[in-house]
Amino acid sequence: MPFRSTLLLCAALLWTTSAMATDQLTIYTHPSFAADWGPGPAIKEAFEEQCDCAVNLIALESGGDILQRLRLEGESSPADIVLGLDTGTMETARQTGLLAAHETALDRLNLPIEWTDPLFVPYDWGYFAFVYNTDQLPEPPTSLEALINAPDDLKIIIQDPRTSTPGLGLLLWMRHVYGDKAPEKWAQLKGKILTTTKSWSDGYFSLFMNGEAPMILSYSTSPAYHMAIDKTEQYQAVRFDEGHYLQVEVAALVASSKNKALGRQFLQFMLTRDFQRHIPLKNVMYPATDIGTELPDVFGKLIQPGKTLYFDPATVADNRRSWLNEWLDAMTR
Amino acid sequence: MVPGSNTPPFTHRGWRIWPGTALSLCLYGLGMGGLGALLWQAPAIDIQSLWSSAYLRGVLRFTLWQAAISVLLSLAIAIPVARALDRHRNFPGRAALLRVMELSLVLPTIVAVSGLVAIYGRQGWVTPFFDWLLPSQGWNLYGLNGVVLAHVFFNAPLASRILLQALENTPDSQRKVASQLGLGSLWLWRTLDWPAIQGILPGLAGLIFTLCFTSFAIVMTLGGGPSATTLEVAIYQALRFEFDFGRAALLALVQLIICSAVWLILVRGKTDSALMPAQAAMNSLPPRPDSRGLYRLMDGILLPVFSAFLLLPLVAIAIRGLPGLSDTLLSGQGLVPATVRSLAIALPAGLLAVLTAMMILMIPTARGLGKLAKLGDMAAHLPLIIPALVLGTGLFLLIRPSLGVSSEGLVLVSLINAIMALPFILHLLRSPLNGLDYASVRLADQLGIRGWYRWRWMHWPRMRKPLALAMAYGTALSLGDFGVIALFGTPAQPTLPVLLYQQLGSYQVSAAAGTGLWLILLLLINFSVFNLIGRSSRSRGLPDA
Repeated sequence: MPFRSTLLLCAALLWTTSAMATDQLTIYTHPSFAADWGPGPAIKEAFEEQCDCAVNLIALESGGDILQRLRLEGESSPADIVLGLDTGTMETARQTGLLAAHETALDRLNLPIEWTDPLFVPYDWGYFAFVYNTDQLPEPPTSLEALINAPDDLKIIIQDPRTSTPGLGLLLWMRHVYGDKAPEKWAQLKGKILTTTKSWSDGYFSLFMNGEAPMILSYSTSPAYHMAIDKTEQYQAVRFDEGHYLQVEVAALVASSKNKALGRQFLQFMLTRDFQRHIPLKNVMYPATDIGTELPDVFGKLIQPGKTLYFDPATVADNRRSWLNEWLDAMTR
Repeated sequence: MVPGSNTPPFTHRGWRIWPGTALSLCLYGLGMGGLGALLWQAPAIDIQSLWSSAYLRGVLRFTLWQAAISVLLSLAIAIPVARALDRHRNFPGRAALLRVMELSLVLPTIVAVSGLVAIYGRQGWVTPFFDWLLPSQGWNLYGLNGVVLAHVFFNAPLASRILLQALENTPDSQRKVASQLGLGSLWLWRTLDWPAIQGILPGLAGLIFTLCFTSFAIVMTLGGGPSATTLEVAIYQALRFEFDFGRAALLALVQLIICSAVWLILVRGKTDSALMPAQAAMNSLPPRPDSRGLYRLMDGILLPVFSAFLLLPLVAIAIRGLPGLSDTLLSGQGLVPATVRSLAIALPAGLLAVLTAMMILMIPTARGLGKLAKLGDMAAHLPLIIPALVLGTGLFLLIRPSLGVSSEGLVLVSLINAIMALPFILHLLRSPLNGLDYASVRLADQLGIRGWYRWRWMHWPRMRKPLALAMAYGTALSLGDFGVIALFGTPAQPTLPVLLYQQLGSYQVSAAAGTGLWLILLLLINFSVFNLIGRSSRSRGLPDA
């Protein structure tokens, strides 16, 4: 009776969410991390083998939503771990006072920058970069300056810094390279921008993969997925001379958690190979530690930025609003 | 107007007034509670910033402007299309066209936008033709063009569908007289068509205005840049990125005030629609006098162009989705469980929405209760006007300790989806429910046919079809929903739209296109099944409406 078993299976799927196991570790994360093919399920399994607990992954829409949910729930949050914040939202998360020290040794980390933060443990990182379609654009501009000065018939797709992480990344990238001149440069870039989408997915799926524009703001690691899984070299990232802006994705322990020891155990586990080996192809980012030969070969073909651009999270938090307003002014004038 | 000419179904006054009123009050409570909670949590509210910010003024101007154009264009297309469909009740493919018209509103935005881009974008199928039409500057989708085009794509078919339902309710006797008199198109418009639709037109315009005013992802993707920003975007920004509850609530309040004002102006003085007597259409009519000659030719152009407008993006979506869909179906990547989960949320939501809408519509409009009925109507529109994000965040603040993220969460999602579908359902059911003719009602009163019997023998034959359509919309709106479920957070097992977004978020472009296509097929099946249910045994085999 295939129909009946399907029904039973589905009923079971709906019910398992409320089933209680021994020790529960509740993790807030984003949908692509928790997806069947994402790193979530494999990591859950690996951790459950060594912790005698049940990992409960809850997917919220984005990093911003994870933070929002945590703020709304405050002390009564059922979450033990938040996983999926990044260097753009870290400082705001810190200021809520709802997070606890990780007490994890960070010496295994392998990031382009030094990391000593007491609250946040990085689990992966990547560079923002423009990805281009080699069929449509054989010779892309090789610097931010060249892109800004390119003729207006070169079209790019970017994301809105008000609603999207890479969008904010580009804002910081421009600011880092041009400082106070950034608004002028934005005004020059404006003619090249086909559109500014709400999220990365909107631009990548509806526009870029539909061939609407040859370049899109994305990550330097995006081609790794296309090369390893789609088996195509058609989509490549372009290396910019000025350097690339860094994004580090982090997790943290929730202060109100009743399972702090278990939570810290998970944060330590996060920096082991059993966790990190799932990052490169399932989250399409660089692992936060050196995983040696387990790093897929395609990662060797990715661009190597000459310079890592990075603002301290506190600087971002202090200036975000005024930089956003500058951007709005430049773009709507 | 004759007092009591629109006596609604359950004839005991109390039964008609109280359930609907109580439900409306609940909705007000919900809306005000959500907004109020935000305002109450906000540290400081800077009303000054509203007037002083050039940015906000620009946002407001653009929001109003694009919404107004979208409404006008949608209706300008919807009315002729509805008349043409009413003129020709038997052409092949009419039923299929109606199903597609029902579909467009409920398409998930990201899928519809990818279809529109494939047709009208820089590499679009019809773009060379548009460039040829506009040789001087060329066609550019990104900007006001694209925003309005997408809004017309979503809303004109809905409007047309609702208008057609009203046109078809014109009594046969009147159609026969008109046919015998050989009235021309203009006269038919003045004597039959306009009276049939004028009652629902303002409400419809209000509905479309609100939908376009609060539009979000479409405006951002197709708007070209931050100069195309709606108030809803500013609210999202305030809530999600700045955690500025005060500003979010304030902006939501502005949105609430503008939308309700527009809505009140539009429906001013009109407490009810469809005042004419009507009977179940038997479809055995002589053809409308204006379905021949020149009009036949014009309709022969209008309907195919309109069909192409609706179908081309769907064809593009299908072509893009087929490879991915066959892969996913073969590998069984969670598509079936996600579908079952989606249906488990959507079917109860549809049913609940229809029941609630019926109760609100039953509030009598005559005898000084017009204001109460209007209040109920207003309440049903609140979920459209108050951004879901504001409502959700506010309610979260109110009930946060008790909210789980498990099965109760899914029940809540179903409930909120039902509320979100309410305004649409209200528009679908209003005119059939209130359109029972005076003579029949009087006769039923004299014969003492009341309560259940009146419902079973007088209303049910007329309501069967609209109810089925309303159920179909209610279910479909919730099937395609991503916003509400994302708000509450999902345990790892996704519904269909969540699965779609998971795939989009992790480069699975082809699988996502497949899931999008699957969702569209499911929506089509949903509309077709409910359409079959709606056809009574008597009218089966007769032309479809």
